[in-house]
Amino acid sequence: MSKSKSAPASHLGVATADTAAKHPLAGTTMSGSDMIMQVLADEGVEVLFGYSGGAILPTYDAVFRYNAAHPADQEIRLIVPASEQGSGFMAAGYARSTGKVGVSMVTSGPGATNSVTPVRDCQADSIPMILLCGQVPRAAIGTDAFQEAPVFNIFASCAKHVFLVTDETKIEETMRSAFELARSGRPGPVVVDLPKDVQIAEGTFKGTGLLEFRGYDERVEAMADQKLDEKRAAAFFELLSKSARPLIYAGGGVINSDGAQELRHFAERFGVPVVTTLMGIGAVDTTQDLSLRMLGMHGMAYANYSVEDCDFLIAIGSRFDDRVAGQVNEFAPNARIAHLDIDASEISKVKAVDWSWVCDAKRGLAQLTKSGAKFKKDFSKWQDHARELKKKHALNYNRGAKMIQAEFVLEQLNEITKGEAIVATGVGQHQMWAAQYLDFVNPRTFLTSGSMGTMGFGLPAAIGAQLANPGKLVIDVDGDGSIRMNLGELETLTNYGIPVKVLLINNLGDGMVRQWQDLFYENRYSGTDKTLHKKDFVKACEADGFEFSRRISKADEVRAALEEFVTFEGPAFLEVMVDLHEHVYPMVGPGAGYKQMITGPYIPARDLGKDDKGGGSTGGMF
Amino acid sequence: MSKKHRHTISILVQNEFGVLARVSGLFSGRGFNIESLSVAETIDPTVSRITLTTTGDDAVLEQINKQLNKVVSVIKVVDFRDAEAVDRELALIKVKANPEARGEIMNIADIFRAKIVDVGPTAYIIEVTGGEEKVYAMVELLRPFGILEIARTGKAALFRGSRLLTVGPAEADREKRAKEHLS
Repeated sequence: MSKSKSAPASHLGVATADTAAKHPLAGTTMSGSDMIMQVLADEGVEVLFGYSGGAILPTYDAVFRYNAAHPADQEIRLIVPASEQGSGFMAAGYARSTGKVGVSMVTSGPGATNSVTPVRDCQADSIPMILLCGQVPRAAIGTDAFQEAPVFNIFASCAKHVFLVTDETKIEETMRSAFELARSGRPGPVVVDLPKDVQIAEGTFKGTGLLEFRGYDERVEAMADQKLDEKRAAAFFELLSKSARPLIYAGGGVINSDGAQELRHFAERFGVPVVTTLMGIGAVDTTQDLSLRMLGMHGMAYANYSVEDCDFLIAIGSRFDDRVAGQVNEFAPNARIAHLDIDASEISKVKAVDWSWVCDAKRGLAQLTKSGAKFKKDFSKWQDHARELKKKHALNYNRGAKMIQAEFVLEQLNEITKGEAIVATGVGQHQMWAAQYLDFVNPRTFLTSGSMGTMGFGLPAAIGAQLANPGKLVIDVDGDGSIRMNLGELETLTNYGIPVKVLLINNLGDGMVRQWQDLFYENRYSGTDKTLHKKDFVKACEADGFEFSRRISKADEVRAALEEFVTFEGPAFLEVMVDLHEHVYPMVGPGAGYKQMITGPYIPARDLGKDDKGGGSTGGMF
Repeated sequence: MSKKHRHTISILVQNEFGVLARVSGLFSGRGFNIESLSVAETIDPTVSRITLTTTGDDAVLEQINKQLNKVVSVIKVVDFRDAEAVDRELALIKVKANPEARGEIMNIADIFRAKIVDVGPTAYIIEVTGGEEKVYAMVELLRPFGILEIARTGKAALFRGSRLLTVGPAEADREKRAKEHLS
């Protein structure tokens, strides 16, 4: 056996996806850290996000040596954030915008615990991500050593899977399996806890092999082989043929399975309008006729009305979350329900369904479309109805106001970007307005913390997305509350010359919380009022080396400033001071049904039907 | 919907550390108490069998079962329905045994087909195996003598008849043989 010493040879190809052929480095002796790097390269990782520290030093050293030994085009670029939460969300932004597994590498103890939020966020939104954590040496585990944290225990309840590598001979397989687990089935985050001595230990690189997960592997294989049997297909088309007003309710599962094309094809083929969840934005082109955009708590009035009106709701990769179905019994009250989802535990979890199939959205939609080759039914009357709703109850805002309206800013931005930009957001009012007013032509272009609702997500996620999509326009639409949470990452933009455009919608406080305080707490702005804060974001950006850092507070400056901003070559920061008293509408209050939707002062509410009680423009909520 | 039932759940898992934490986390995260628990290797040393009992809302239990099936290290899950399985547990009971009480204690042990496994000058240790009710009844009968200490195991449960909860190709083979044997 040839035992050439560790450094991976530079003349050898790195990205051999073909594991059937013998790996060119098979049989080489190398350290655990070098094996980690090699697996990252084999998995096609181009960018690694992370922050160094004592317990992960051997692997950071391996990054350095790996890149020194490889030509520039084969390097794994290392991006160092201001904090580990930042690198976790960068990995998430990388993953969300590409579908590839994002990797964040941190040290033990605080490095690991700072990563809890992004890992849980990825789990909640089903994002494939790997967290590599340094850990104290095996002998020191459990001794309250310096920078020790119980990583396995902490992450067991918020990641898809956690590995603590205690056997150095398993490091290679564990790394490969981490990728496999992160992206297979319902995707999610996988944590690999790497004791320092395991990173240092030398062994023979095999270049192939995965750990065995008997139950999981079987379940994933069974899923990949799913075939729509005739009976199930017939039952579906029976429901569709009996329906006069079918509606697709698509979620993040469509995007995660790369099923957007299949969904668009399905909707067009059968003529069924589509509403999406926040996570499903981009699954259909929002500028198209059949798109009724987002439903739910802050969904379009016409999307929610169409849910009320439909008689057959086809849920695809969506899960009747409480921001969609706050009042489960009243959700889609007139509809039979079909549910296609990759996760059996989502079927009938919230709402009983008439038809279901556990399959990934892409495969499921393709098979359904094929099975319905002969299906014929004209839904044009219902489509007309949907068009009418869209026209009558279109979004609107206070156009006559003196102060800049956030909606206006986003409407203007949309005219410039035309749905082609990748947009990341923080969490709050600006996030909802971005979901409402911006178009998204393609999937994986709206990056937002949907389930967890993590403030501070936008800036690092935009960085990850920009690095994964170097030529594209990436905009972080952020709020003043949210951006503060990871403000340190502004510096990351200039450190690396990452040309993300940061659009700060500043309403001097936590607008969404304030909105709830207006509605439910008699305007007591406990903890949310930042009107007296001294922070000067423009100066902060200048201090970080931004060459474009500007604040505007007049409506007539908005368009020109936005145009300059998005076309600026490097990182750019634009702060727009907006009206702090505006609310996001429509709004379906927490625990309320769509009949109680408040459309606000600017969007016409529907005339109440005979059996419609409540639900006027203010719904008696004030 | 919200009717509470006692459930006996058996879970085959990969025999590795941390699995128990993940499994029990699914119960504790929903405020469910695990009332009894047993974990041990199966005939295949790479596979462990967890058997636990819990009481709860059927709909929530169904959700927990589905969630268990998502845990990467979980191989198979079964929530035994009434009379579907045979289950047994074991208790060691240390009871005060004054000379005048010894005869009666031995009598009770005999009736329950329990064993006296340790005889001391003032106390006996009795080992009893059986269904939950039997163990409970035994405890109640011994209580008047003065129970000093008690240690109980969790349940072990198997399907009645030829049905198996097993995994893997080797196990499939065993299943086939078991079927042949039984038919």
